[in-house]
Amino acid sequence: MGQAEVRKVRHKMGKLERKNTLVAYSFLAPNFLGFAIFTLVPVVCAILLSLFEWNGGDPSKLKFVGLENYANIFAVQKVAEKGIGYFFNRADLGITLKNTAYYTVVTVPLTIVCALALAILLNKIKGALFFRTVFFFPYVSSMVAICVCWSFMLMRNGPVNQMIMALGIDFNKGWTADSTMAMWAIILVSVWRNMGYYMVLYLAALQGIPRELMEAATVDGANKWQQFLHVTLPQLKPTTFFVSVMMVISCFKIYDVVAIMTEGGPGRATKMLVTYIYDEAFVKIRYGSASAISMVLLVIVLTVTIIQFSSEKKFSND
Amino acid sequence: MKKMLSVLLAAMMLLSLLAVPALAEDQVLTVVTWDATTTAYLTAQKEAFEASHPGVTIEYVDCESGNEYGVKVSTMLAGGDTSDVIMLKENDQVVQWQASGFAAPLTDYIGSYDMSGFVGIEKNYAIDGVQYGIPFRSDFWVLFYNKDLFDAAGVEYPTNDMTWDQYAELAKKMTDKEKDIYGTHYHTWLSTVANWAVCGTDYTLADGNYDNLLYFYKLYQDLEDYGACMSFADLKASGLKYGAAFENGNIAMMPMGYWQVSTFINDIKAGTASLNWGIVAVPHAEGVAAGSSFGNMTGVMMNAKSEKKDLAWEYMSWLCGPEGAKATASVGARPAWVSEEIAEAMASVEGFPADENSKAALLPTSVAMEWPVGEKVPDIKTIVNEEHSLIMAREITPEEGVAEMNERVAELLK
Amino acid sequence: METTLHSREIRKDNPTLRRILRVIVWILLIALAAFTLIPFFWMISSSLKLDREVFAFPMRWIPETFHWDNYVQIWQKVPLLTYFKNTAFIAIVVTFMQTLTSSFAAYAFAKLNFRGRDTLFLCYIGTIAVPWQAYMLPQFIMMRSMGLYDTLWAMIVLQSFSAFGVFLMRQFYRSIPTELCEAARLDGLSEYGIWARIMLPLSKAAIATLVIFTFVNTWNDYMGPMIYLTRDMNKTVQVGLRRFIQQYSSDYHLIMAASLCSLVPVSVVFLCLQRYFIEGSGLKG
Repeated sequence: MGQAEVRKVRHKMGKLERKNTLVAYSFLAPNFLGFAIFTLVPVVCAILLSLFEWNGGDPSKLKFVGLENYANIFAVQKVAEKGIGYFFNRADLGITLKNTAYYTVVTVPLTIVCALALAILLNKIKGALFFRTVFFFPYVSSMVAICVCWSFMLMRNGPVNQMIMALGIDFNKGWTADSTMAMWAIILVSVWRNMGYYMVLYLAALQGIPRELMEAATVDGANKWQQFLHVTLPQLKPTTFFVSVMMVISCFKIYDVVAIMTEGGPGRATKMLVTYIYDEAFVKIRYGSASAISMVLLVIVLTVTIIQFSSEKKFSND
Repeated sequence: MKKMLSVLLAAMMLLSLLAVPALAEDQVLTVVTWDATTTAYLTAQKEAFEASHPGVTIEYVDCESGNEYGVKVSTMLAGGDTSDVIMLKENDQVVQWQASGFAAPLTDYIGSYDMSGFVGIEKNYAIDGVQYGIPFRSDFWVLFYNKDLFDAAGVEYPTNDMTWDQYAELAKKMTDKEKDIYGTHYHTWLSTVANWAVCGTDYTLADGNYDNLLYFYKLYQDLEDYGACMSFADLKASGLKYGAAFENGNIAMMPMGYWQVSTFINDIKAGTASLNWGIVAVPHAEGVAAGSSFGNMTGVMMNAKSEKKDLAWEYMSWLCGPEGAKATASVGARPAWVSEEIAEAMASVEGFPADENSKAALLPTSVAMEWPVGEKVPDIKTIVNEEHSLIMAREITPEEGVAEMNERVAELLK
Repeated sequence: METTLHSREIRKDNPTLRRILRVIVWILLIALAAFTLIPFFWMISSSLKLDREVFAFPMRWIPETFHWDNYVQIWQKVPLLTYFKNTAFIAIVVTFMQTLTSSFAAYAFAKLNFRGRDTLFLCYIGTIAVPWQAYMLPQFIMMRSMGLYDTLWAMIVLQSFSAFGVFLMRQFYRSIPTELCEAARLDGLSEYGIWARIMLPLSKAAIATLVIFTFVNTWNDYMGPMIYLTRDMNKTVQVGLRRFIQQYSSDYHLIMAASLCSLVPVSVVFLCLQRYFIEGSGLKG
């Protein structure tokens, strides 16, 4: 191939690529325009805000403080004095991070397992319509109502405790008034509420698995369990990626359930990152510091996402 | 046909001409508030003000109550909202909104405005000597009691002069486990237990030392152990409302804010509750004058962006002064402006208990603020509330909790 | 191989075992469903009680007297019908816009190669990660300057272009074999043609999912409408519900009644879209 020809091919490819890019942009444009204006711009504002001190007044009163907000939330001074233990045991950010991480680590796998199990069971069973609707119900009902409801269910002599007692376990404490159980109350309500939601996602994904793949597996003599391991699970990978990323994000952003059921208590036992952000922004009117905490959240979530993202790339079919 | 049309058109033009001057004269004053449709005093105030100020209409901007009020109003104001008057739900709000530049200083208006009726509580709305708001409602705490339960037990009613120990004794006496009767009732708030320490003294919960609270935590735990009140853990979980709890008829006494008076009056009038109740002054600590209470106020501030500041002041000064106070008192709410005349008006509201003690309880000897205002106060509140919930849930002892409060607040104030 | 064949044979030959398994699954499902529904029974029973009976102890699952008028009161005490209309308008428009624009954009992310694709995609996910509380204020100031404050359009433009839908659809498109697109390209179909004729028909279940989720989320959104909508004529159901919670008293029996009513439209949407979740309706081969 001559030099000129190579250049020609390259030129042609460049043109093709440019055309492809243009086509891609045309697909993106309708969503991206709205997204950029109404979400991306404010988010960027918030990122910048973490470097300022602002009480929400006239924007001319913004005061640049550099990393001071970060130094404050990480209690840098105190940590230097008293060691890292101070951060995790005393500082609001340390405690909320710990609580949120604990909640996330328990809730994500628990919800995924429940959702997946439900989806597979309800994929073709008789009466599936009824069960699917039942399990989706918690997700569609209003937050206030279900949280009030659950607070009542989990009272000292409420129905849940009565059931536990009936099993012969001596448990006589209101869940939300106990430092350890309060967190489990939040986890329970979250799993109960969200499993139907993710079940629907898995149900939809199951519809996408080519029937031939299943049939081929059956012909190869795979039993149900092997079929599940070697056909279903790999085919569900993009959905599992979506579910786990969304769940990690939404777990790190948990707010409503805590606000209604425990208000972060007792003490700081269920105080979460967003409870803390809300407090800083709207009770103490320190928008800069609220933004700084959000950035901690953003960094965590992006790290998790990028890790999952690269593993998705490694295993995906393109 | 044509003629008819032209007559019709002419008539319409004439009508619109008539409408224009009326519109120009009619001034609308927007007031940001919460629960506008269901709060009786807001309706009474609007009616009375419009009646005495022809041509002015009050338009309430109805926001959500609860913590969302502050969130919503802060956001509205940051976005450049031009509503004229903003009601202040929490005392801290005036500090926040002043710092953000949303509150107009009242210096130019206040001039010779008579604030004597506020008995000094208006100072909580002053920042560096400049008044930014004035109060129109002030709720102090009283002790509600159920007369029927006392009659049935043959026990004398509580009085306007009781110490906390006498009260605790009375609560135990009234407790009847067989009949499921509780001697008293503590709602889950910090204020129902801790705030008694501020009554009749200069001490505030923002001072940084919480040793004074120990006595009250121990008093509470003693009552809870005895079974004289429902447990904190249960109340917290069930979200049982104090009003409904008391209306159930198995609670003998309940310290609560004065706002509950209008709820009882209205519920009994509406037939959803039947109750024979009375009020007395809250008990007092040893060495503190009888009739010392604490309370909270609700006020108004002027939006710095208002385009009708004079009219806004006209409304604010009317609302908080004796005239507005009468409208507020007419539905059983307690105005910030107090006088013998207003107390008379409050006692004469239909449904208010007829006994002398209840009437005497209307004029407390002193009312301390539940929380002072200040820059660090929101942070202190968070800490004290967190430790409070741990003490109340029996996760830690009162001593441990108080020590923790002292330490964490000291760290913050350093 | 042999062992699996063997076990398969056993199972085929053993319908009793199968039946037992099925019964166990059924029992499990029924137990779980009962557990899921218990709070709803309580909601229904509370919605028929008097205010002060709701939290009374010992609890009663069946109200002493049925107060059906609670269901009348909720429509009279607050203009709930207006709230329903507003919410329905917002939810329908948002669902339509969201589904359309995100299935379009997701195609580019899933099946096209262009510069900056992954970075842009991370940007999308990144914004999901930032809590709304943190950027609410800048967003509000911007919306207000556009004159959208206290209009239903505020809620529509805020929710129509969310990153969530794009992410969801991208993941579904990725599970559709790329070879299908390649083949279509060789057949001379344009990218738009591939999207319309291949991707859309193949992702019916995914679209149904997105429609359900968007509709439910918009229907149940509370903070957004609370901040952006002020006049009574503009409020939504979730904001309306909170009007039964007041400063000094809350009517939990009415909240429960209104919550149950607000469940109806979302359940209808869910039931209508159920048929897209029947196995094998999607891809063949």
